[in-house]
Order: sequence, then C-alpha cells, then structure tokens
Amino acid sequence: MLNINYPKIEKKDYPNLELNLVEPIHKLNLRGKSRDFFTKAGRILSIMLPPEPNTSATIKSISALWLSPDEWMVYGKDIEKNLMLSLDSEISKLNLGSVTDVSDQWVLINMRGKNVFEVLSKGSSFDFNQFKNNKNVVVQTLLNHVDVILHHNDINNVDLFVRKSFSEHLWLWINDSSSFL
Amino acid sequence: MSENFRSSETKFLDKTNRISFKYNGKKYYGYKGDTLASALLSNGVHLIGRSFKYHRPRGIMTCGSEEPNAIVQIGGSGSFTEPNVRATEQEIYEGLEASSQNCWPSVEFDVGGINNFISPVIPAGFYYKTFMWPKKLWYSLYEPAIRMSAGLGKSPTQPDPELYDHNHLHCDVLVVGGGISGILAASISADNGNNTVLIDDKNSLGGSTIFQDDENFKIDDEIPSVWLNNQIKNIKNKKNLIIKHRTSLAAYHSYNYLLARENLADHKSLDERSNKLRQRLWKIRAKKVILATGAIERPLIFNNNDRPGVMLANSVKKYIDYFGVRCGNKNVIFTNNDSAYETAISLNKKGINVTIVDIRNNSSSILVKNAKNAGIKIYWNHTVVDTKGYRRIKSIQIMKMSDDGTNVIGSKINLVCDNLSISGGWTPMVHLFTQSGGKLKFRDSDQVFLPNTAMSDQISIGSCNGDFELDDVIKNTNSECKNFLSASVTDYDSLTISCPKQKESKNIWLLPNDKPLGKTKPFLDFQNDSTAKDIKLAMREGFKSIEHVKRYTTTGMGTDQGKLANMHALGIISETAGVKMGSLGTTTFRPPYTPLTFGTIVGRNVGTFFDIIRKTPIHEWHENHKAKFENVGQWKRAWYYPKNNESMHQAVQRESKAARESAGILDASTLGKIDIKGTDASEFLNRVYTNAWSKLAIGKCRYGLMLNEDGMVYDDGVTTRLEENHYVMTTTTGGAANVLSKLEDYLQTEWPELDVWLTSVTDHYATASICGPNSKNILKKLFPKLEFNDENFPHMSFKNAELNGINCRIMRISFTGEHSYEINIESKYGKSLWENCIEAGKEFNITPYGTETMHLLRAEKGFIIVGQDTDGTMTPIDLQMEWIISKKKYDFIGKRSLYRSDTMREDRKHLVGLLTDNPREILEEGAQIVQDEKKQPIEMLGHVTSSYFSPNLNKSIALAVVKNGKKLKGQKLLVPMKDKTINVTVSDFVFFDSKNERLNA
Amino acid sequence: MFIITCPFCGERDQSEFSAGGEAHIVRPKQPTELSDDEWADFLFMRKNIKGVQFERWNHAHGCRKWFNVIRDTSNDKIHAVYKMGEKPPSD
Ligand SMILES: [Zn+2]
Repeated sequence: MLNINYPKIEKKDYPNLELNLVEPIHKLNLRGKSRDFFTKAGRILSIMLPPEPNTSATIKSISALWLSPDEWMVYGKDIEKNLMLSLDSEISKLNLGSVTDVSDQWVLINMRGKNVFEVLSKGSSFDFNQFKNNKNVVVQTLLNHVDVILHHNDINNVDLFVRKSFSEHLWLWINDSSSFL
Repeated sequence: MSENFRSSETKFLDKTNRISFKYNGKKYYGYKGDTLASALLSNGVHLIGRSFKYHRPRGIMTCGSEEPNAIVQIGGSGSFTEPNVRATEQEIYEGLEASSQNCWPSVEFDVGGINNFISPVIPAGFYYKTFMWPKKLWYSLYEPAIRMSAGLGKSPTQPDPELYDHNHLHCDVLVVGGGISGILAASISADNGNNTVLIDDKNSLGGSTIFQDDENFKIDDEIPSVWLNNQIKNIKNKKNLIIKHRTSLAAYHSYNYLLARENLADHKSLDERSNKLRQRLWKIRAKKVILATGAIERPLIFNNNDRPGVMLANSVKKYIDYFGVRCGNKNVIFTNNDSAYETAISLNKKGINVTIVDIRNNSSSILVKNAKNAGIKIYWNHTVVDTKGYRRIKSIQIMKMSDDGTNVIGSKINLVCDNLSISGGWTPMVHLFTQSGGKLKFRDSDQVFLPNTAMSDQISIGSCNGDFELDDVIKNTNSECKNFLSASVTDYDSLTISCPKQKESKNIWLLPNDKPLGKTKPFLDFQNDSTAKDIKLAMREGFKSIEHVKRYTTTGMGTDQGKLANMHALGIISETAGVKMGSLGTTTFRPPYTPLTFGTIVGRNVGTFFDIIRKTPIHEWHENHKAKFENVGQWKRAWYYPKNNESMHQAVQRESKAARESAGILDASTLGKIDIKGTDASEFLNRVYTNAWSKLAIGKCRYGLMLNEDGMVYDDGVTTRLEENHYVMTTTTGGAANVLSKLEDYLQTEWPELDVWLTSVTDHYATASICGPNSKNILKKLFPKLEFNDENFPHMSFKNAELNGINCRIMRISFTGEHSYEINIESKYGKSLWENCIEAGKEFNITPYGTETMHLLRAEKGFIIVGQDTDGTMTPIDLQMEWIISKKKYDFIGKRSLYRSDTMREDRKHLVGLLTDNPREILEEGAQIVQDEKKQPIEMLGHVTSSYFSPNLNKSIALAVVKNGKKLKGQKLLVPMKDKTINVTVSDFVFFDSKNERLNA
Repeated sequence: MFIITCPFCGERDQSEFSAGGEAHIVRPKQPTELSDDEWADFLFMRKNIKGVQFERWNHAHGCRKWFNVIRDTSNDKIHAVYKMGEKPPSD
C-alpha cells in the first residue's frame, strides 16, 4: 500500500470561521470550445458547463467552475473513475478538447462562517461586496500573493483551491489572519 | 507644585479618568482624551524640543498633524520606543513615557544650542558648501560630527514586537476628513444609498466646528457645536456608513486607490495592547472620493517667531475650548484676519488677559466689534518686530507699519506676554488632491492654491476647497455633494446659517522690521530651521526653481513636509523673483501625508510571511533527514544532506560519488510539467522548440531547447509523447510559470488556429529521479512486472507501470549522464513513493542527493542549466548546441534571429570548459576571465558560470562563457582574484564519459 | 495601481495582470524571407508613446487570457479594452 500524504492542514475554528481540509477529492480540468465538446461534457457529467464568466453549476455533489472562456474545473466527491475515463475517452481521445486529472494539482480548503470574507479581504484586492451575496459564483484571484480559485457555493461558505506546493504556506497565512479578526 | 493651566470644564475629556504619564522622566497628570500636547500645556510645559540646525528651544505650536516642533520620542528604551511622534497627535495613556528629541544632554540645557550663536556662519547650503573638501575627511570627521548633532530621535535597536496587518476595503464613496463638511458629505452619501466610509484621524468627529460656541454663528438657530453634535449622533445610526476614527490617509493614488493607516492601539497602555494589532493599513478602492481635509492656519513670518509660547491662534482656541487648557496667562494675538478674534473672545470669556496686534487698518466684522466691547486692546496697522524670552516667550516688541506695509515707523512698544497666538490666514490642505494627480489653481484674492482639475472621480469640499466661512462651507458642501452623487434632495437643503463674514484682508509674506533682514531670524520652516533670509540667499546664489530652493534651503523637507509655511516660502520667492505665485506653482506633495512606520507598510509580511514558500510533496522527508534547503524561485529544494557534521563540500563529494558508483535519488518534483493535448500538439512543439517533433514515436522522450524570438535560449526540458495527440512537457523549475504563459500567448495570439490545449500539472505529480549503475536494479524491485532491457525500455523512453496499484509514469532520461529513471506519481503518493524507493535501494546504498550534487554531476557532463550558464544573451550556437537546431524546419520561435548579423558573429561569447592548472584550485562562479592582466583597460573576455570540484575526476572543473571561446581550446587564460591570479586552460566542456557509455550501462 | 476590466472576468486590480508590451505587432508569417532590418523592426522596435498607446495585457492571475488595452501612458487612463483578434473600437 502507498500512503496518502497531504500538507499539514487540520480543522481549525476561529470566531465565526471554520477551516477544513477537504481531501482527497477529484478535480478535473476541462478545456474546449466546440459545440460537441459542450454537449459531450454536459451529457457525461449531467451538468452544463457554465458559459457565464465567474459562475459555477452544481448538481448533487459535482460542481463545474468557469475558469476562462474555454476552461472549467469540475470537482466533487462522487466523481468516479468511470466518469473520468469516459470523459477522457469521449473528449480527449476524440480530440474535442482536453480532460486532465488535476486532483493533486490543487488542494481544497473549505472556509465557512461570517468572517470568511473578512479574512479573504486581508490578502485579496478582489471586491467581495457583490460576490458574498451570491451563491454559485467563482473568482480566480491572488490571496496573499498566491493564486487561488474561490468558489462561493453557499452563503458564507467558500471552497478555496490552492496549488498544492503553495498550500501549506497559504494555510499558515489564513490561520494567522484569522487569529486577529 | 506647578501651576495648573486647566482652567475650564470641557465635555470632551473624561475628568473621572485621570492619567499619569512621564515626560523627560518627570511625572505629570492629564485626562483620558488629552493629547500629549494638551496634557503638557495643562501642566505649563511649553518647551518640547530643540530645532534641527540651531538647536533653538521650541514649543508646541499647533494641535494637529502639521506640528513642526513638538516631536517626541515615545516609550523608554528597547523595542517599543518610537521616534518622531507628534505630541499634538499622541493621545496619553496610563504609563506613557515620552522624551524630547534632538537635544543633549537635556532640553533645558542643550550643548548644540551653541549653533544658535554661531548661526551667521551656518547659512543655507552650509552643509553642501562646507563638507565638500577634502573628501577623505567625510568618513572620519564630517559624517560622525553631523550624525552626532543632527537627527530626529533614536530608532529602536530591537525588532518591532507589535502586530500590524493589512486589509482591503471597497466602497462607493470614501469621505476623507470628519469635520463639518465631511460629516455632511458622509450623511448625504449614505442617505443616497451609497456604501460610504468616513475616515478621520482624530478620536472623535467634528473638526473645529465641534468646539465653535460663539453666539455669532448659528445653524438653524443653534450654535454650531450643538447642531453638529446632533448630526454626528445622527450619522452613527446610518446603516451603510462606516466611520473609522484615528485613521489617517497616507496616500492617494490614481484610480481612487488610497492607503489609510488605522491606529488601533497607540492610545492604549502597554497592558491593554498585548497581542493585539497596533495598526492596520487599509487599501481602499473607492468608486468616488470626497476630500474634506480642511485647512491649516498659516503662521506669520517675523523676527524670532519661533519661541516656545508662539502658537497658532486657532490651536490656542482649541486648547482652551476643547481641552480646557490655557496656553498662557497673558496672551497677545497677532493676526491679519478676523478668525483670530474668535480666539481672543474665547480667551477673554475665560478671564484670560488678551491684547490684539492686527496688521490691517481696521475690520468691520462683528467679531471685532465684540472684542472691542469686551475691552480688548487692539493695535491696528502694527507688526511684531521682535520677541524676547529664551525657553518661553516673555515679551514682544511691536511697531507701526508704513502705509505700503514695507516698513515700520515710529517707536517700539513693548508688550509683556507669555503666549503669542499668530494667524496669517488659512491654507487649504490640497496635498491628497495633488497626490492623486490633480492640478491646482491659484486664487489671488486670498492667495491660496485650490483644486482645479482632478484625474479621478473625486471632489474637494469645505475649507480644503477654499471655503472658509461657515455658510459657504455648508451650502457649497451640500450643493457639490448633491451634484457629485446625483442626489436630488438632502437634509441640508433648507438650513438657515448666520455667521460673520470677513471683508478686510491683508497679506504680507515677510513682515517688515526695523533691522535689516540679515540681522533677523524670521523662521519659515520651524523643523528644519530655514528662514526667509535663507530663501533670499539661495535666490541670490542663482537658484530659481522652487524645487531647487526647497532642497538647497531644506525648506519643507522635515517630517511635516513644510505644511505650515510652504506658502510663505513661495510668496517670498515670487516677490523676490517678481513672478506671480500662480505661475510659480508649488513643490510636489508626495505620499505619505503623515509619516508611516515600517511595520504598517509591511503588515504581516514579516518572518514566515516575508516571501511565499513552495514545498514538494516529499519535503517532510527531507526535513526529517536533516537536509539543508536552497531557495529556487519560491521553492525550498533539498540542497544537500549532511551526515555526521559533514560540511557542504564533504556532503556533496559523498553524494556525487555514490550517484556515480551505485545509486542516487533526487526529488525532481519542482520541474514544471505541462500537459499538452490536441491534434496540432506535434506541430505546436515544432514551432516552440528548435528541434523536430513530428517523428517522435509514442512512448519516446526528447530533449528540447526553447528560444526567445530574439534567438536566445529561454528554457529547456524533456518532453514525452504519451499518445498520438498527447505530450507532457517538462520545464525548468524557475521557468515553469513563464513558459506556460509564453506558450498560451502564442496559442491565443499568433496561432489561434492550432488545436492545442495546455494544462499545468506541475503540482499534480511528485517526481523521484533515481540514477546510477544500480538504478535499474532498484526499479526492477519496485516494478517487477516491467521489462527493463534496452530493447523494451531504452534510454529516452517512457512506460506506465503500477506501484502497489497506483499508476506511475516512468521516463528513462538522464541529467547526470548515468543510467537513470524519473518516476512520476500523483503527488499525494509522492512521499510514499520516495520511501519505497529508499527502501528498495537500501541494499545498493541509494543516496539521496540535493541540488548541489545534481549541479555538479551535470557539470561533469557539460549539461547546461538555463539561467546559470545562460543569461538571455546566449544562442544555441554560442552554447555549441548546433546539433539541436533543425535545419529542415521552416520556422520556430527565434529561428530567424539565429541568422542575424550579430548572432552570426564569430567572436561572440561561447560556452567552454575551464581547467585550473592547479587541479585542487576551485574557481569562483562569476569570476572574470582575462588574457592579459597588464593591458589597460583590461579586457574582460567572459566569466565563470559553474564551478565544482569533481570527486569522480578528482580535479576542479568549470564551465564558462568566453569571447571567441570555440577557437581558444587549449589556450591559457587568467582568472584574477582579489589576492591572486589563477591560471586556467580552455577545454572541452564535457569532462566525464564523453562517449555516453554510462547511459546504457 | 489601476483597475483593468478583463474582457472576460470584469474589473480587477492591476496586480492580477501582467503587461505584454505594444499590441498589434503581428509575427511575420515567413520570417526567413525578411531582411535583417525588417526582422529587427518586428523584434525590437516599439513605439513607447507618451499618450494613447495600444497594449497587450494578460489576466495572469485570473482567466489567463491575453487581450488588448488602449491606455494613455501620461495619466494611466484606460480608454478601451478588447479581445485578441478584435479591431480596436473606432472612437
Ligand atoms: Zn480574466
């Protein structure tokens, strides 16, 4: 057996803020722009890839995040190997676009509570005023100089994706910032 | 028992909360809400510091951030001490310790005060002129002497233990300044549905109107202080208004980006502030900005106008009306306008003796009439010509002025006083406006610079926009905010306001004197001790630009940025030069508006958070095995693994030998990895690399060199063809992000027709690289099902294989020249993979090696490291890598540049090997290479790029770039060092196994 | 620090973007046919105007798309933003 190791990220509680590592969880990067690509991806995932910038679509426990006009991230606990294989064979192999497993490229940290945006604002220039009132919105931005994808999947509940090599450092920073709210 | 100068009740202080503090070691008392200045004045302490150049005694002059004199050191010794704090802004707290600056041994008796008596020999530019020659005396004599006598306070000698952080804030409207116009603006803005933020640098709102109790001023039949107090209560309940106290704006940049410092703890005792944030820097983006920064009272410029006890009239009013503190028992008010009469009336009401000296002939204001009725003596058309009193003003001498105001006439009148309140009119605070790129205009009637055209969506209102009368302030604030915020109605549309209006005004920048200018000291910049005399001297010496005069005389260059008397300096320059002030312009106001401490600027980006840290999935193992780490970009890479107190050299020699003799293992997870998919993937690689890719078979790997369009080497790495339309490219560790961005650039802009999709997978995979003669044996143990013979798995090929059910991508590629494999696995299994490799390699003495050994091993083989052996000026031909340039390909990035006349020059710098004549001698990387040491000027032929002692060759080896190096093989060259010259011979750059026999061993 | 409106993601802080120099310089289709001077013109010559300038920017820390910006370099005012391949707005 091979052991699984994640960066040192453990559940933490702060006033009106709860931080959690949500791993392992499957993540796929989808790229494409043709009609066929959209149809295929939609059919296999049972989710329309959201064409609207900065939005997401969620069905059951699978979410598709808009990343760019031709790029999406699909993630969720219930993405099975078969689903990944059929995406690969029906999209990548048929040259409709690309499907790439990025499960270990990103680490998912969940932040929930009233103080989520207070902490994020300490390290991000993004204007969360509108964002925090809307569900199913996505932003890619910098948090303390580190690239992150933020998915506001429920009010005051944010899934934060950070590249694995940065994750421990960013985790320390988030904890530091959360300690003087 | 010293006299108590707290003479009246005040609602602004908490009299139940008595606070003790120390000033220059002596204990004093004040109340919660006092500033250090007001508390000291209430104890009769005026003398605060010594001036910068002449060490003249100086006292508190103002009540705000414009204070030039009352600058103190806060905190005793150690880490909590802070220099250059304005006593007028520092709130007192229990246990506060403050001391005077710029005096030795004490403020009462200061040795530097001798400068005052020798001042005729230290005029403007003194330091420039005197300390020029002889140059060598600078370090031994001049600089230490200047440093002893100059300087403002002492910087702390220990790290700052306090906490600071940053926060971003986005709002619809930011209002800067909590005086009456700022309060109205915030109220209008919030009522109009805007998310509004109001910031004010004091602990409570209200500006100077909050203590305006004069019966001659009325807003809706209420005196202004009462009316405004109700407004403040009102706005505190507004839902979309955030009020930030003790928050001062430091900088106003373009696009309404503003930096504000919120003071959270400086008014608290040390006990109360432990482990709490001291200050927070707000990074504000406002859609609209309303500046209500007010105006600063101008001093008057006359002989000896700097003695302790000389204060601005409006500040004296604030001390009596707001803090209940009288600044003297016998006051003279010296003015050129009506506003100072408010001070006179306030003092008179409190029973304090007041006399007025006014440079005007008369004034019809009701305030003047009231002053007369109260029995206050007024000297019209008089000016102060001298003041007496060393540590505190004792008397003044006044004289009548000639009708044209250029001379004094008649005889001197001596007036005894212990306070001289001066008022030279008002200067709108346009600093922030100009910081944001705004252009000013000049109003001749009262000689003020006013905001004219703004670069961003903003307005200035109130006295910073040149409205000085209460009715103008309120009415214009209301109408301008309505207009700016598109509000149709406001609460302030139908206010009735009554206030005195000033009709008579007179301005003289430099007041006349019975003595020649050379015999007087009319100070302009109190902090830097520059006088009107210095300005005129500078102009006589030929300085014309105000920016030059400023630097030569140091006028306006103190920590207060000359907020008080810059206008007088300009006025004197314009009069002397005969240029209109409007066309003269002002000096540039630069951020920060008030000084910021470094802690606030860096926030939490200290210590651990100074820079970003990236770690590989195997990092913990390296840590546990005592690796030393090296920074490679943001990555922490294992550098070497010292055993039993080995030095770096010893560890690297051991690791290198082990890798060549049996097996070594390297964490190569940091290499950039880009997944490339699409029907045009091969064509894409053809265009971005110098070599050809179409014919690369599936399952094979190839080394590629990427150029910039200018033909210079940009990056390199091995790319593997996984499937017909699927490749994975590796890049250098440092170049990963830039390469991806560059490739995306070409795909998006130059070749949008290509069907290619790129996805970064750098962090998705962990990579263990195993090399050495026993690498194959180790791999066999790990992957027993895989066939490792050269037919099935040759050098430069790839296999998928499972390790305990988890798929691995294995590339047989080599950066060390040894038989070697790179195993890639999903990074969550990275550490486990590594441990498995170590376990399997135990019997072969598998030795983990770090980046230093990797560099050594590849240098033995003459493999370049992009960024170490190249620097953006090396073509592949310069690197003697012609073999990698496809002759058949029509085009690739940088190809055309390889045929430019300059890149085809024969005598370019080329990559060569260098061998030291003494094989034990190791060259220093970066060392210069020459042929003839005697030649003048000496010709630099190139430099050493990589240098090591090779344990496998038992000699020193180096790579270097040398002019015309290809032709110099076998030639002797010199590497001159500080203490010796090293003889070297140019050699081939492949030092080890030049026939590549070990790759297949 | 200015605000740039990414044509895809909307208004973002300048810190999310990287600048890519002058816009509308097309890479020659047949570089080998060009003289040294012509190639140097493509490679090195840039306008660097004080005033209104056409620039390329990349939303590096967002959607990673390149696009064009019309910016006045004398005051950083951005007059227009448009996608790659699009013509500058005529105005
Ligand atoms: Zn974008």
